Amino acid sequence: MLFLQLLANGLQVGAIYALTAAGFSLIFGSTKIFHFAHGATFAIAAYLFHFALAGMGLHWTFAVAVAAISAVVFGVLLDRFMYAPIQRHEGSFFTVFVASFGIGIVVQNLLGSLFGRGFMSVATPLSNSVEVMPGLYLSPLNGLAIVCAIICFAALHFFLTRTFVGKALRALSENPELVRMFGLSPRRLSTYAFALGSLLVVPGAIFTAAGTGINPAVGHHVMLISLAATIVGGIGSLRGAACAGLMIGVAENLAMWKLGTQWSEAITFAILFFFIIFKPSGFFGRATVS
Amino acid sequence: MLRKILSSIAFAIGLFSAASVQANDIEIGAVFPLSGPNATYGDIFMSGADLAAKHANDDGMLSGDLKILYEDSQALPQQGVVAMNKLVNVEGVPYVLSAFTGVSKAISTLAQRSRTVAVNGGGVGPDLAELGEYFWNVIPLANNEVGALAAYAVNDLGHKRFTLVYVDDPLGESILNELEKTLPSLGAELVESHSIAASAQQFSGVAARVRSNNPDVVYVASYGSQQLQIVKQLRDNGVKAQIASYSAFSVPGIQQQEEAQGALFTTQSIDWDSEDPVTKRFVDDYQAMHGKNPTSYIANYYNAVRVFALLAQVLEEQDKEITGANLLAQRKATDTFELVGGEVSFQENGTLLAPIQVLEVDGSGSGKTVFVKATE
Repeated sequence: MLFLQLLANGLQVGAIYALTAAGFSLIFGSTKIFHFAHGATFAIAAYLFHFALAGMGLHWTFAVAVAAISAVVFGVLLDRFMYAPIQRHEGSFFTVFVASFGIGIVVQNLLGSLFGRGFMSVATPLSNSVEVMPGLYLSPLNGLAIVCAIICFAALHFFLTRTFVGKALRALSENPELVRMFGLSPRRLSTYAFALGSLLVVPGAIFTAAGTGINPAVGHHVMLISLAATIVGGIGSLRGAACAGLMIGVAENLAMWKLGTQWSEAITFAILFFFIIFKPSGFFGRATVS
Repeated sequence: MLRKILSSIAFAIGLFSAASVQANDIEIGAVFPLSGPNATYGDIFMSGADLAAKHANDDGMLSGDLKILYEDSQALPQQGVVAMNKLVNVEGVPYVLSAFTGVSKAISTLAQRSRTVAVNGGGVGPDLAELGEYFWNVIPLANNEVGALAAYAVNDLGHKRFTLVYVDDPLGESILNELEKTLPSLGAELVESHSIAASAQQFSGVAARVRSNNPDVVYVASYGSQQLQIVKQLRDNGVKAQIASYSAFSVPGIQQQEEAQGALFTTQSIDWDSEDPVTKRFVDDYQAMHGKNPTSYIANYYNAVRVFALLAQVLEEQDKEITGANLLAQRKATDTFELVGGEVSFQENGTLLAPIQVLEVDGSGSGKTVFVKATE
């Protein structure tokens, strides 16, 4: 029964990881910008959801809208006013990374100053587990997270395969020059990528605020998982990042079935090293020759 | 020419004022977490230290104003050493307040080498009592706290099976060692221990493991935001066993957390209603300034600064320089100190001996605890 319990926990955690990793992968794959502040977007969405719900007393649907709008606005503003100028001045990949890293730290401290540095969580009965079978406890949040992830991925798939902007985004990740030749603006597409990628962290941020609780440093862990999932899934592959995120969440939890609890986090990096050594192109990435 | 004269005057005024500040102020240092996930502790510690400095200055205990130079450790040993280096080698302070077991252990070598007194009021690892004569503790250490709680849980509540969830650092290790040593002698057992990384935030898997062991007591040895996340996720995931911890639970976050209702924890025993003048003044002024009751952490850092003020006052009366070595010699020469909580004395190893109390979180959200039992 412990195995089933850990598997159920892993699926919930994995669903959240998959969404955040897909967001990072979409941005990185399309724009080649190492958006380290993706974790900061997650933290902003979580804190503003909490603030709107608990601080302002808004209905949860409005709180979700506040979180979504704040995440999208933050992502788009970063793209427009930080990454775009750096790229215009032909800043290196490393310059972009350092700038993004710095923004992550600034956001962490700002959230700490505005909302306090302590732990916060959304009080909801949805996070309380009930015994569905002897020894197996599930909370409504478990199911909601998984259902929400499935819906989000279905919508994302539809958007990327059936809409003009979605197809353009995929083209941008393949060949930016070709996109220009077709008269499209890579800069504008980059903004779409940031908006969509930032939107994808919102469900994870909300479920984290309600389930595990948040603190200003919550984005670091999200960023590490997103990065690992992007590499394991194959850089540029949304499907790969989503599968890898799910796999990491499940593996983190199942590791506790036979191993000590301290191995839970290490398993993420064990998987990462395994892929770097034996399959550097990841799950769905394509091998390249330099 | 006029410009040169004016700038020379301005420079001279600047030098004079800087010199007068240095001549009048008596500075001590503090290495506290001021940022990161444990920054909430820094705010708590500072409120106690600042109040003691204010009282010392109001009373004119020293020849100049007592000032505390705060440096950020982020509760990390490496950052703590950087902060300590600055305080000792740049600022030249003779006395430094320290917090957290890992940080305290990391800075103790520098304290010993530079003959700077380091005083811990927050870390509780038992080995903090053995870090040399320049390292003092104004807080009972984990061996006292764990022993008191285990004895209460076993003898008074009849609990026999314990599970430990501990952060993988010197503090967590020391609590694991204490439980392994203490429980068998009480006729109880540690059925399983779960080590977690200091950065971990996801504990639903740990909760599943804990539940599968069916313990009577889950002892949580963590701190900061993490301990609140552990408590919430244990309860959310169906763990109904008694939750227990040490003095890290005496923070507002835990006191106001619904899921922590009924959790037991230990602190040193302080009678907040005491008529003893030091305690009464501390409690009254703290309540007036902050509108709430103080906690043992706040009292500890008040006491740490007050110990300095008392020792430095005697040194100044004897026309001795306020150095780490002289502070140490004077502490050894002083039998008792009038501190918050009453008259106390240091043990040979520089650690204050204080009775322990077991408290229970009442879970009303008002931030109150329920006094359960005091032990010697």
